[in-house]
Amino acid sequence: MSGEVTSERVAVIATAARIPLDTDSSARVARAVTPAIAQFAAADVSIDFEVEPSTFAAIARADIGR
Amino acid sequence: MSELAALTLAEIAAAIRARKASSVEVTQALLARIASWQPELNAFVRVDPEGALAAAAAADATLANGAAKGALHGVPVAHKDMFYVAGKLAECGSKLRKGFVPSATSTVVARLDQAGTIRLGALHMSEFAYGPTGHNVHLGPARNPWDPTRITGGSSSGSGAAVAARLIYAALGSDTGGSIRLPAHFCGITGLKPTSGRVSRANAMPLSFSLDSVGPLARTAEDCSLILAAIAGPDPLDATTADAPAWGTTARPLSDLSIGIPSAFYIEDLDADVAATFDNTIATLRALGAKLVPVTLPDQTAINAAALIVLAVEATSAHAPWLRTRPGDYGPQVLARLQNGLAYSAVEYLEALRWRGPALATHLASIGTIDAIIAPVANSAAPTIEATDVGAGAGAELAIQKITRFMRLANYLGLPSLVVPAGYSSGNLPIGIQLIGRPFGDEILIALGEAFQTETNHHRRTPPRM
Repeated sequence: MSGEVTSERVAVIATAARIPLDTDSSARVARAVTPAIAQFAAADVSIDFEVEPSTFAAIARADIGR
Repeated sequence: MSELAALTLAEIAAAIRARKASSVEVTQALLARIASWQPELNAFVRVDPEGALAAAAAADATLANGAAKGALHGVPVAHKDMFYVAGKLAECGSKLRKGFVPSATSTVVARLDQAGTIRLGALHMSEFAYGPTGHNVHLGPARNPWDPTRITGGSSSGSGAAVAARLIYAALGSDTGGSIRLPAHFCGITGLKPTSGRVSRANAMPLSFSLDSVGPLARTAEDCSLILAAIAGPDPLDATTADAPAWGTTARPLSDLSIGIPSAFYIEDLDADVAATFDNTIATLRALGAKLVPVTLPDQTAINAAALIVLAVEATSAHAPWLRTRPGDYGPQVLARLQNGLAYSAVEYLEALRWRGPALATHLASIGTIDAIIAPVANSAAPTIEATDVGAGAGAELAIQKITRFMRLANYLGLPSLVVPAGYSSGNLPIGIQLIGRPFGDEILIALGEAFQTETNHHRRTPPRM
């Protein structure tokens, strides 16, 4: 995952989502989200192949009554 | 202030049940306070005196016949304007939902109705609950009862202001990135973000379906427990609540409980007042018998980033139809934040979402047998409305993230977190401290909060002039 976000990338995703976004807004969005994307990319998190979003709920419930 | 308005939720419920005060008397007392303070605080978006007084009279008549509806019989409350009630407006702090009348009632409001509460009206909120300060370009800002030039915190801004000003005894709020806990901190009241899955979100306005929690803002931990007892538990309309354990407040002695003090992140960049309050709270809990131990938590920066990605994409997805057709009807800041959700790829979003389980497992491994983490809520007491009016410019997102930086662990990992008033700044503004629990450890937080509030009086202090 790259930490770099460009206004071109934002514009492409907005177009695919059929949501209007002017050029200035694309550039602003790119600047605004770069820290979060860069931080998550830098963390290089390890996720096992089998993990899905609902794995979270199973882990939470396994802690009940600890 | 009238003696009735000064009571806690637990105290007023007991007084009404014992017929030491009638529901009508109590409702009239609060309506009078609302009439006095609403022009200054902007805490309510609608007040329903006629409906509330009729419901109060009915509650008194029922009680006169020897039948109490539930534990909160005849107690007036009000909720953030995002909890649907069939046939009543729910405008979500927005222009887009102006005039919206839902056809179904939210499970939480229905359960509080069953417990006997009556509703005084609906409370101010940040537009679509997407803002941590209490600013709202459509409604104007809610104002902090401790100093009306200061923010209430958001997004449950009216809930925070109204409870702090003793206009109501308790309110429901929602918390996706601190929206219960920040108003509790800035307004000097108690707020509980429950464990994800503990309280139904059915027919409440969504922001981020993975991160949203519904919970109470009230004056004490005991009051929060009373609300939770009424609203928690499985709901067929919200699948995330399936198999949630029943609410129970069996007390555990504090000598059995251990509290972790983070060795990094949560102790950084605190102003002197918050740092002193944090240290004092640790000392008080230690004196009460709890074991306070240092703990090294996993990288909170990665957790914050993952939470922001999940929130941004899910909010944008929920709002996509309006972003296509009515973008001009959003306030500039909310529109800008919703547009931010367009920046992430599907793979980035799903990696952030899939990582919740492993991140929770790593968190639990790091805390071992610790029952709760103690942490500040924000790095200062309430800043001014003017200083935090950051608009929609390039720096707005970073400014917002600075306010919410201690909030996202509980949302991303679905953990319960209780905020209790714990001290005051040199400028006489309240400061809260949060206790972050284990999954479904909400009752332990309540027990800790009750013990702390037995020993301290911060929750009893009222704003100046009130």
